[in-house]
Amino acid sequence: MLEADVEIERGSFRVEARFASNAPIVALFGRSGAGKSSVIEAIAGLLRPRAGRIAVGGRVLFDAAAGIDLPPEERRVGYVFQDDLLFPHMTVRANLAYGERLTPAPERFVEARRIVALLGLERLLERRPATLSGGEKQRVAIGRALMASPRVLLMDEPLASLDAPRKAEILQYVELLRDELRLPIVYVSHAIEEVTRLADHLVVMAEGRVVAEGAVADVLSRADMVELAGRFEAGAVIEARVAGHDEAYGLTRLAFPGGELVVANVDALVGEPVRARIRARDVALALEAPSKASFQNVLEGVVHSVGHEFGAIVDVTLTLAGGERLVARLTRASVARLALAPGVRVFALVKAIAIDRRSVGFA
Amino acid sequence: MRHARLAAALLACAACALARADTLTVFAAASLKEALDAAVKPFEKRGHRVVVAYAGSNVLARQIESGAPAAVFISADAAWVDELEKGGFVHPGTRRNLLANDLVLVAPAGSKVQLRLAPGVDVAKALGEGRLAIANPQAVPAGKYGKAALASLGAWNAVKDRMAPVENVRVALALVARGEAPLGIVYRTDAIAEPAVRIVDTFPAGSHPAIVYPMVLIKGAHPGAGELAAYLASPAAGATWERFGFRRVP
Amino acid sequence: MPTRDELEIVALSLKVAFWGVAASLPLAIGTAYVLARKRFPGKTLFDAVVHLPLVLPPVVVGFLLLVLFGRQGPMGRLLEPFGIVFAFRWTGAALAAAIMGFPLMVRAIRLGIEAVDTRLESAARTLGARRGRVFFTVTLPLAWPGLATGAVLAFARSLGEFGATITFVSNIPGETQTLPLAIYTFTQVPGAGLAAMRLSILSVLLSLAALAASEAFTRRRGVRSDA
Repeated sequence: MLEADVEIERGSFRVEARFASNAPIVALFGRSGAGKSSVIEAIAGLLRPRAGRIAVGGRVLFDAAAGIDLPPEERRVGYVFQDDLLFPHMTVRANLAYGERLTPAPERFVEARRIVALLGLERLLERRPATLSGGEKQRVAIGRALMASPRVLLMDEPLASLDAPRKAEILQYVELLRDELRLPIVYVSHAIEEVTRLADHLVVMAEGRVVAEGAVADVLSRADMVELAGRFEAGAVIEARVAGHDEAYGLTRLAFPGGELVVANVDALVGEPVRARIRARDVALALEAPSKASFQNVLEGVVHSVGHEFGAIVDVTLTLAGGERLVARLTRASVARLALAPGVRVFALVKAIAIDRRSVGFA
Repeated sequence: MRHARLAAALLACAACALARADTLTVFAAASLKEALDAAVKPFEKRGHRVVVAYAGSNVLARQIESGAPAAVFISADAAWVDELEKGGFVHPGTRRNLLANDLVLVAPAGSKVQLRLAPGVDVAKALGEGRLAIANPQAVPAGKYGKAALASLGAWNAVKDRMAPVENVRVALALVARGEAPLGIVYRTDAIAEPAVRIVDTFPAGSHPAIVYPMVLIKGAHPGAGELAAYLASPAAGATWERFGFRRVP
Repeated sequence: MPTRDELEIVALSLKVAFWGVAASLPLAIGTAYVLARKRFPGKTLFDAVVHLPLVLPPVVVGFLLLVLFGRQGPMGRLLEPFGIVFAFRWTGAALAAAIMGFPLMVRAIRLGIEAVDTRLESAARTLGARRGRVFFTVTLPLAWPGLATGAVLAFARSLGEFGATITFVSNIPGETQTLPLAIYTFTQVPGAGLAAMRLSILSVLLSLAALAASEAFTRRRGVRSDA
C-alpha cells in the first residue's frame, strides 16, 4: 500500500499531490514539468516536501506534522533513474552488489541469481558500464535497485533515453517484474503507450496537481482527459481475454463483455488476460453497421458524451455493450452531419491493424 | 636572501626611474641597522636622500658583483670586501675600517644560565635540549666569527651538531629573544639593542679575528657618496656609533 | 654520480615532501569536499584563508609558523607533551611544506569532486548507503584524478619549498637542510659553485621523476575506470 500526500516547493514551482494505491503498478502520468519527478524524489527522500505524509506498506517514511523524515538510505526504496546512473568505476557485478551488501541479511528477499536470470545479465557481469548499450545499462540499473531488496520500486521515465527497440525490450522486462515479483512499482512516464500497457492504477498530474486518479481504463476514457493531461494520444483501453488465433491470416481474437476485437497476431495463449489500447484517431463512427467495408471490428455502442472542440477536431466518448468506454476522434463536421449527441446509437469502426503488437499489453 | 634581492631589484628600478642627484644607496651589514639609520639622519638634512639595504654581508657582496646600484658598502667581513676589490668593483683608495665590534653569547632575558667563555667551556651542556642560534657559519661573517671563537675555546666539536644556522645575525638574535633558542651568538651591538636578551659573556678578543667593518665606495658611484662616507667616519657621527655600542676605528 | 652527502640531502627532501603531503591529504580532502558541496555563511572567507599561503610571502608564513609552532608558541607548547615537536626538526620542514602546498592540493581536489555527478551520490543513498559510505565508495574514487593531481602538485611544491622552511626551522644539515636550502647554502660559499650545480641537476631530475610518476599513476587509474 502506497500512500503519498505531499506539498513540495521548488523555487516558484509548487506541487501538491495526494494519492493512494494498492495496485501492483501505479503510474504517474503527465507532461514534462507536471511535477511527477518531484513526487518520486520526495518518496525516495531525495527531496523534502514542505508538508505531508508518505507511507509504504504502513511504514511511515515522511510525516511533516510528526517530525518524521527518514533519510534515503533508511527508506528501502528502489530507484531506477532515467539516466541509469550506474557507477562508472565499478563492474556490473559490483554495481549490482552495491545495494545488496548494504541490506541486512534478514531483510534480503531478493536472490541475486534470480534477478540476473530474470534480466538476462549473465554475460554482462564483468563488464563496465561504459561498454554497455542503453538497454543493457537500464537492465543493470533495474537489477541494482532490486538487489537492495526494496519495499517499493520507483521508476522515473526509465525508457526515455532509449530507442524504440530498446524501449520495447525493457517494457517487457518491467511487465515480467510486475508478474514475477510481488513488489509494488511506481512508474513515472509521459508516454501514454507505456502507461497503458503497464499500469493498473493511474494518477494523472498537470501543473503540479493531481487532476485524475483511478483505474487505467476509466481514467483514460474520460472526455476531459485531453484538457487535463494535454494533447496526448487520446484513446481507450479495453480489458479482454484471448479467445483464439487465426493461423491462416495471422490474426487474434480478443473477447470482452461488449463484443470481440480482431487484432494483428498477439503472442499469447488462449485465455490469457490482455489490455488493448485503441487510439481515438483509429476509431470511426457510423449510424449503421457497414456491410461492405474492410473494418474487422464493428462494435455497437451508445454515445456517452461529446467532448471539447479543438479547432476542427472533437473527441466523442461512447459506451459499448459491456459498459466499456471507447473514444473516437472526429471532425466537428462529421459530428454535426451525423447529429451525434449523448444517447445516439452508433457503431464504432476500428481497423484490426490499428491495434498492433505495441498496443496490446498483458494484464 | 629573497628580501634583499627583491629590495635590490626594486632599488635598481627606483634608481633608473628617479635618477635624481639626491639619492644615495648604501648596502650595509644587518648588524648595523639601528646605528646606521640613526647616523645618516643628520646627513640627510644636507639635502641628499639616503637609502640603506641591510642583509648578510655575503648576500650584499654577491649583489654588488651582479651590478646592484650601491654607492657605499659597509661589510661585517673583510673577506668579502677583498673579493670585491679583486673583482674591480671598488673605487681605489676608498677602503677604510669604519667600526669595530665584539662577539657575545646571549640568552633570553629571563634565563639564569651562567657561563664563562674560557678554554674548555661546556656550551653543549648549557644548551640542554635546545639549539645554539647562530648565523650560518659557512657563509655569514657573524657565523664565521662564532665558529672561530668556539673552535679556539675547544667547544666547536661538541656544538657543531647542536646549532640552528640562520640567515643572518639578526635572525639569530630574534630566535633567542623569542625563547626558541636557549643560547645564541651575536654581536655586542645586537645584544644591546634587544631588551629581550641578556649577555651571558663576551668572547675573548683573541679567540676570533678582529671584527671590523670595512667601508668602501663602489666604482661608478655618485660623487655624493664620498661625502657620505667621510661623514660616517667623522667624529660627528662617532657619538652615534658609540651610543649603539660600536667602537670607532680612528 | 651523487655523493653520499648529496644522497642524504635528497633523501631528506623526499622524506619532508612525502610526509608533508601525506599528513595534509586527509585535511585537504575534507576541506575540498566542504568547499565543493556545502554552502554556509562565511564560505568565501574560509576559501580565502585556505588560499593565503599561496599569496603570502613564504617568509611571512614561516614567521607565523615560528610564532605558533615554535617551542614557545601556543601550538608548540600544546603538542610538546605528546612528543610532537616542530621547532628545528624535519617535522617542522614538513609542516612548512605542507602548508605551502595546501592551497594547491585543495584546488585540484575540489575540481575533482565537483566533477562527480551528485546524482550518482543520490543513487547510492537510495541503495542504502549512508553519506560517509557514499563519500568513500562513490565520490572519492570518481574524484581520483583531482586527488592525484593535487598530491603531485603539493609534492612538487614541497620539493622546492624554501622561504617558509628556512625562516621556521633554519638550515640544519641532516635535519632541515632540504635540497633548496642546500643549494642556497652552496651559492653563499665562495668556490662551491660546482656543488650547487650538481644539486640543482639532482633537483631537476627529481621533479621530472615525480611528474612522470604521477602521469603514469593517473593514466592507469583513468583507463581502469573507462574500460
